Amino acid sequence: MTFNDRIFGVLLIVLAVAYGWGATQFPEPFGGAEGVGPETFPYLLAVVLGVASLYLIVRPDPDNAWPWSRTGIEMVIAVLVLIVYTALLQPLGFILSTLLAVGTLCWRMGATPIRAYVTGGIAGVVVFVIFNYALHLALPLGLLSFLEVN
Amino acid sequence: METLGYLIDGFGVALAPHNLMFALLGAFLGTLIGALPGLGPANGVAILIPLAFTLGLAPETALIMLTSVYAGAMYGGRISSILLNIPGDEPAMMTCLDGYPMAQQGKAAEALAISAIASFMGSLIATVGLILLAPILADFALTFGPAEYFALFLLAFATLGGITGKNPVKTVVAACLGLMIATMGIDNTGVQRYTFGVLELYEGVDFIIAIVGLFAISELLFFIEEKAGGGKEKMAVNKLSLSWAEIRGIMPSSIRGGVLGFIAGVLPGAGASLGSFIGYTLEKKMVGSKGYFGKGDPRGVAGPEAGNNGASSGALVPMLTLGVPGSGTTAVLLALLISMNITPGPLMFTQNADIVWGVIAALLIGNFLLLVLNIPLVGIFVRLLSVPPKYLLPIVTMIAFVGIYSISNTTFDLYFMVAFGVAGYVLRKLEIPLVPVILGLLLGPEMEKNLRHALDISGGDWSVLWNSGLAIGLWVFAGLGLILPYLVGPLLRRRMKVAAGSGGPEGD
Repeated sequence: MTFNDRIFGVLLIVLAVAYGWGATQFPEPFGGAEGVGPETFPYLLAVVLGVASLYLIVRPDPDNAWPWSRTGIEMVIAVLVLIVYTALLQPLGFILSTLLAVGTLCWRMGATPIRAYVTGGIAGVVVFVIFNYALHLALPLGLLSFLEVN
Repeated sequence: METLGYLIDGFGVALAPHNLMFALLGAFLGTLIGALPGLGPANGVAILIPLAFTLGLAPETALIMLTSVYAGAMYGGRISSILLNIPGDEPAMMTCLDGYPMAQQGKAAEALAISAIASFMGSLIATVGLILLAPILADFALTFGPAEYFALFLLAFATLGGITGKNPVKTVVAACLGLMIATMGIDNTGVQRYTFGVLELYEGVDFIIAIVGLFAISELLFFIEEKAGGGKEKMAVNKLSLSWAEIRGIMPSSIRGGVLGFIAGVLPGAGASLGSFIGYTLEKKMVGSKGYFGKGDPRGVAGPEAGNNGASSGALVPMLTLGVPGSGTTAVLLALLISMNITPGPLMFTQNADIVWGVIAALLIGNFLLLVLNIPLVGIFVRLLSVPPKYLLPIVTMIAFVGIYSISNTTFDLYFMVAFGVAGYVLRKLEIPLVPVILGLLLGPEMEKNLRHALDISGGDWSVLWNSGLAIGLWVFAGLGLILPYLVGPLLRRRMKVAAGSGGPEGD
């Protein structure tokens, strides 16, 4: 099967064309146009990428299998965990969000839930303490800010 | 003689107490990174960059620490080769061949000690080579004009896949993607390019975020896919009994391996994997029928291990003198230099002599530290092998998050990093190498600047790019770098496969 490279090649050509077209839309630089402007290098890249992706379409490599079904879902979960981790980092604070994120990841990778979340909690507290007190980099405390000692 | 003076100054920098402390810390962390499953050298150094950054380390201290990490990771990679027959990284592949049989015969401690000594010899030879060669190359590079630099960057991309690389077109695609990302933001004439009106993109994409995302997050996804969450069983290591005669016995192999490795490391397109491969095959030829290679011959451990470490120090030569890295990890080190506002290249040897020579001296010192760390403390590192990735990788990911967050204290960067991680996973699945993407990101601005400079001087005449003999030579080598993999690549790859039995993970 050689679908991966072909599909990717088509996507890349679309990218190359869009990128090249984007370069034609740059406003003229201050002081008037010269022989080489901000669009010269992008044009070059668009052409090279276009040619290389044509080659991928014409002579694709054999495919690597994609993880469908359960493994695929696990990976989607992992990415979601990372996104949610980012979103909760400031409101919940570093320790709590790390407990949840690292715990969930460990658990989904095969640890028992209790061990997973204990690992997450310990990792969160240790890293927080190291960063805040040893390295003086403030990580958000969030919900736990009542613990703050001034 | 001038070199000697600089080197003595360099030792002055490297021996300053806090630099020495960070070198020791780096050496220890590096070996740890090399030994832990799922953390390659490039990945490990990438995660540590934001930390070095936010700690506000002086440039020389940060670079000393991270080159120690780099050197240490090469030491650490051999541990799992010898004990588990699993190469920690690609260059450590050849160490499996005789290291694992030695461990099976109950001589694991000897194999580890021999490989540490051979690594030490390899690095030592290559560092001396670096000291001799780098100033000459830097002087030579001063004659480069913008056109030559443009051709040199092309050469770097063309040879990055290495002559054992699979599909050079994919290297080209990867390089283009990296260069394209590098054009995002406001260019040096003040024109906004591909910013889509997003304020955060005006300054362009921070390559540190891209690097950490591409390496660390995609690695997590790969481990989930392979369901490789369980740890390895604990390993017992026998008590070390190594005589001087045995150490003397492996010296010639180590020296030969180190010299070959250094040459392979300096040359574009060869890399550490080829260094250790040549080191092994040559050793087999030299010793001939007197050896018992493949069945636990100590010389079969020493040769490739010295070659591997020699190549990794050799790879620093083009990075320091030309600003053009030859491997993934040196590309990451280049990222550190650029983000510390140091322009790598020949001028660095005059403008930032204290940094360059401090780092070189630190390599020598770090090498001794590593030898001292690795022989008595090997038990600790061996125990690390059994840390299950299901705990380790989530924690490493979290540390990557903390590092990136601490650079700017915004979560925008973190979303960006996750996006790069997913993209990195897809690219690796498609066998598009990641290192050219990163190199494109790093070299993009310089490459464009040199192109525009060259064309401005010539008044828009493109032939200026291949007008000098030097530039033509660089173009020819770049062309060869793309064509040779088609001609000799399959043959070399087959030989390496036959020798090693199976392929290793990506990157060196």
